[in-house]
Amino acid sequence: MGNNKRSKKDYSDKKTKRKKKEIEDETYVDDPEPLDEDGVPVAAKKNVEKDDAAVPEDEFGAKDYRTQMILKPDHKSRPLWVAPNGHIFLESFSPVYRHAHDFLIAIAEPVCRPEHIHEYKLTAYSLYAAVSVGLETHDIVEYLKRLSKTSVPDGIVEFINLCTLSYGKVKLVLKHNRYFIESPFAEVLQKLLKDPVIQDCRLRRDTEDTQVLINQADKKLKAPQFGAPSSSTTQPAAPTTDQPDLEVVVPEDISDFYNKMDKQDEKEDEDNIMKTVSFEVNQEKIEVIQKRCIEMEYPLLAEYDFRNDTHNPDINIDLKPSAVLRPYQEKSLRKMFGNGRARSGVIVLPCGAGKSLVGVTACCTVRKRALVLCNSGVSVEQWKHQFKLWSTADDSMICRFTSEAKDKPMGCGILVTTYSMISHSQKRSWEADQTMQWLKDQEWGIMLLDEVHTIPAKMFRRVLTIVQSHCKLGLTATLLREDDKIADLNFLIGPKLFEANWLELQKRGFIARVQCAEVWCPMSPEFYREYLVCKTAKRLLLYVMNPNKYRATQYLIAYHERRGDKTIVFSDNVFALKHYAVKMNKPYIYGPTSQSERIQILQNFKLNPKVNTIFVSKVADTSFDLPEANVLIQISSHGGSRRQEAQRLGRILRAKKGAIAEEYNAFFYTLVSQDTMEMSYSRKRQRFLINQGYSYKVITKLAGMDEEKSLHYGTRDEQGQLLQQVLAASETDADEERVAGELGGGGGGFRRVGGAMSSLSGADDAVYHEYSHRSSSNVKHPLFKKFRA
Amino acid sequence: MASTGKSVKAPKSKTLRCRTLHEYLKSLSPSVLDRLYNHPSTCLAVYRELSEIAKHYVIRLLFVEQPVPQAVIASWLSKTHAKEHKEATDTLTELRVWNEASVPGGLSAWILNPIFKRNAKVALLGGGKPWSMSAKLEQDQKARDLDFLNQYALERWECILRFMVGSQQTEGISADAVRTLLYAELMKCNEGSESPVITKDGFQFLLLETPAQVWYFILKYLETVETKGLDLVECLTFLFQLKFSTLGTDYSTEGMSEKLQIFLQHLREFGLVYQRKRKAGRFYPTKLALNMATRGTLKQIREPGFLIVETNFRVYAYTDSNLKVALIGLFTELMYRFPNLTVGVLTRDSVRAALRSGITAAQIIGFLRLHALPTLATPLPPVVADQIQLWEGERERLTTTEGVLYSQFVSQADFEKLRDYAQDLGVLTWQNDKKRTVVVTKQGHSDIKKFWVHHQKGSQHS
Amino acid sequence: MKQFLLHLDETNTLGRRFIIQDLDETHLFISSDVLELLMTRVDDLLDQISFPINERE
Repeated sequence: MGNNKRSKKDYSDKKTKRKKKEIEDETYVDDPEPLDEDGVPVAAKKNVEKDDAAVPEDEFGAKDYRTQMILKPDHKSRPLWVAPNGHIFLESFSPVYRHAHDFLIAIAEPVCRPEHIHEYKLTAYSLYAAVSVGLETHDIVEYLKRLSKTSVPDGIVEFINLCTLSYGKVKLVLKHNRYFIESPFAEVLQKLLKDPVIQDCRLRRDTEDTQVLINQADKKLKAPQFGAPSSSTTQPAAPTTDQPDLEVVVPEDISDFYNKMDKQDEKEDEDNIMKTVSFEVNQEKIEVIQKRCIEMEYPLLAEYDFRNDTHNPDINIDLKPSAVLRPYQEKSLRKMFGNGRARSGVIVLPCGAGKSLVGVTACCTVRKRALVLCNSGVSVEQWKHQFKLWSTADDSMICRFTSEAKDKPMGCGILVTTYSMISHSQKRSWEADQTMQWLKDQEWGIMLLDEVHTIPAKMFRRVLTIVQSHCKLGLTATLLREDDKIADLNFLIGPKLFEANWLELQKRGFIARVQCAEVWCPMSPEFYREYLVCKTAKRLLLYVMNPNKYRATQYLIAYHERRGDKTIVFSDNVFALKHYAVKMNKPYIYGPTSQSERIQILQNFKLNPKVNTIFVSKVADTSFDLPEANVLIQISSHGGSRRQEAQRLGRILRAKKGAIAEEYNAFFYTLVSQDTMEMSYSRKRQRFLINQGYSYKVITKLAGMDEEKSLHYGTRDEQGQLLQQVLAASETDADEERVAGELGGGGGGFRRVGGAMSSLSGADDAVYHEYSHRSSSNVKHPLFKKFRA
Repeated sequence: MASTGKSVKAPKSKTLRCRTLHEYLKSLSPSVLDRLYNHPSTCLAVYRELSEIAKHYVIRLLFVEQPVPQAVIASWLSKTHAKEHKEATDTLTELRVWNEASVPGGLSAWILNPIFKRNAKVALLGGGKPWSMSAKLEQDQKARDLDFLNQYALERWECILRFMVGSQQTEGISADAVRTLLYAELMKCNEGSESPVITKDGFQFLLLETPAQVWYFILKYLETVETKGLDLVECLTFLFQLKFSTLGTDYSTEGMSEKLQIFLQHLREFGLVYQRKRKAGRFYPTKLALNMATRGTLKQIREPGFLIVETNFRVYAYTDSNLKVALIGLFTELMYRFPNLTVGVLTRDSVRAALRSGITAAQIIGFLRLHALPTLATPLPPVVADQIQLWEGERERLTTTEGVLYSQFVSQADFEKLRDYAQDLGVLTWQNDKKRTVVVTKQGHSDIKKFWVHHQKGSQHS
Repeated sequence: MKQFLLHLDETNTLGRRFIIQDLDETHLFISSDVLELLMTRVDDLLDQISFPINERE
């Protein structure tokens, strides 16, 4: 009992500690923007978790739900628990896992999905998403009840009702080039029409002036399936994994319901034949009415009935026969095109899992003018390449619009550009201006938004006011931002349509099996001493330049070169990047590196068997396509960004062929200097991936490193010299490279100029000058001189 | 004054050790042992836990009436197994299974302890009067089946364990059990607090398997029986009889002495026997009594595992037992309780709290592995085990030893003299001959000081 | 770790100097009365550099 008191006290201490951490966290926010709650419905702000405060805690400090739920007698054959705070726990080894998984991913956000038990969370947004892919309140509640091992708490049922009853009831549909607000619920539409703002947006045609509502019975020819117009998309042999396993006992009520839900997508069109009521709205007032409807808690679902759009011409693209969709890619697209129309929303797939094919397929399905937005000039090139690879589109159909490449837009079917190109407000060239004008005038069938999570909401809003598009598809690897702005995406683009499970893709061989490791490098005493004394940004330099870290890096590089691996070393700190690379005689790329040199280095890395290791700064995160590699070493990284960590892991995720025999076929190392803040950052970065089921092995000692005699900085003397160099470096050297949002588009937008650094650092560092020469970007790396000869 | 050094290897943290039956018996006085050997059941229990070689020796000597020279016995085994031979003979000597004797000609020899021999014959070959408790009883009108007995035993035992973890549901723990817990230092009474709290040893005790717990507990209890006015030999003998009794059978209390009846009541409180009521005239032994792990590790009352530990440090426990939840709660931060599932997470704080209470990383890891769901391919993800160990290592980054430093020796010879003396005494903590500095432990300080004052008047020390 | 102690000593963080003699690379001879305070400092350092891997979301 006394013990119990003690532990309670411990926990309360912990809570205050956690608070403190949260405050500290804010320092690492990737994209801090003032929270802007406009245009978010009240229900969406509701948080069931708060309802939990009153739940009694048991004697061990856990929330005790036992009195609120009754265990079902056949609980063993049901796979999940629903907590009154909206958290759901799912057994991945349950015979009905599949049934539950498909359902949960549609109605809830995954919190963590390691091997055995997955945790999801019901949120207002996730329920909104569920409704928008066609699930109805009753079905959600009913199926959840059937899957649950216990009775479902009343609060949860209430929450689902609250969040879903008003959502998805009203749709904004563009039909025959006219915008309609459509709903199967006449009373809802009546309610909306009583609102003066909405009345004002309504478009009354003279002929039907007296008619308040148009009653219509939609008659469709046939329930179309996505990709149907192109014979090439038909899947060879549908994957059987989606079929419920018949050998195990599945409670009948679950399997019945599952089958019903599974068919729902296809069936829905038949349902649609039932009456819907609608009224037409003025195209200019779309924005106003959208906002108003959200305020009235009836957010408009945007759906695009592209098959019946005769106003916009079809573009002539199809998927090539060689393009074969993987089951999860197909599933994600089924969510988008489930009812024969195109729903707007976001699809989340890990890097290397084939996001571009999903995007290309979506465009080929809609077959209307497509606008692709990405975040760099390099990505623009990649997208063009992807379109040519997977679809029948040729150069004449694809137009690039960047500061560097300006193809003629008129008559093109697919326009690929960057967010900044569209949203920037500086003066443009005449030519660019013409293109912008044209772009604004178009009615786009589909807008593809690449890497949506990286784009500031403000820029996003701007893009959306400039471009008119019927349907928006966001693509991303992680719906994760250090700030909470991801919620905005829900209403700016649409709900999350699909999110893949990393571990599952890995198990099925679609992405590489990665061994993640955190290598602890003890700080050398001299460096640690300086680190403790140092109160400025230079601390960073001290732990990145820690000689033991350098040696560990060198050892790992040598080790993997001997294995015949391709290694990319990431350093966000430029001083370290250059020092490491020059000392080890490896090529490196950072902001100021010229385009031609970049291409040369990348080509060599790809093709030259003698170039197996390259060093890159964080420009490589977004600005160019890294060739295939299977080893990644991080020596310095951006604070605690979980997204950057996931993105970097993505660099080595592309599934390798023929390496199935090994347990792991890719390696991801993070090197941290022991006893420094780097340890904490590193842990913070890992959280997302850990929740996806990855585990980081901590390596406190690299076996065999002591035998490696060729490593640098082995003596006190050499280490002392290194320390002097670090101490002589300037404050700014401790900064990470600033990538200025790629505002200029293309590769020219970096603020940091190599030449300026030495002047900033003052005259006190002759040693540093030695390296700063390198930044004049035309100098070829010595390695290439050698290989070209 | 103290010296600190991180390279000083931390003394292996004290782990709870459970003595084996032999170890316990060796600690008893010869007269008590001889009295114990008066009962075949004790002889059988001792014999069963002998090594194969020792058993062999006993059998070969069982019908030999004269002392057998030690050299002869040594010749029974090939020289390559001298070590095993030594172990066996030492054990037999310490347990007084045989005694030293001499044969004509002055050779040293061994002869079986006559009391042991007589009763071992009975135990191994039968005969004599029935040495088991009397089972001659009329049919019990309210006979209890195995399920009931197992359930009963488990409940009684968990009652004690729950009391230890400070659970609020502690009705029914007996005063004797509490006294034993305190005596065994598994719990202690803090000043100012009324109810006892668990100790480091207590934490470790909880992580033991049940049969080992019972044996440990009973040994501690036995150490106190004489203060209760009970007869140790009588109690022990009864315990051994229990150990060889049959589960599900009822035995009569007839003929049991008053003292033994009291002992029986204690065992009843702990759950080792079941009695409907005190004066029922019969009792049933439970599996707690039968399975007592007298060998340290023995087959256990092993329930199927119920834990899933994930790579993200989540702990899912398929249980509603407050005891199990409390156990997991020793090193886990508990989050949710569902009717058949408890959700928790291993955090640095929660694990450190456990380490502070004296639980070791190895014990936590062992517990998690032992109780993992049997269906899991890896009972415990390696990263989790690694991390628990790292958290433990973190606490040992800095270790300290108290000591006194001697320096500024006038000559190297003086320095060496003192250093060597300290070394001989085993109190030397650190020395450096270039700096002519010595650190000795605090305990050693007064000796060294005396030595030094005696040796020379003019030396200094700080 | 030793460097950390040296740092605490030099900066008078504990209110005074406490290292009596620097013995070798891994040993320091310190005044025993600061021990408790010192241990909390070391704990603080470790707390600072460890980030909860799994906070509740």
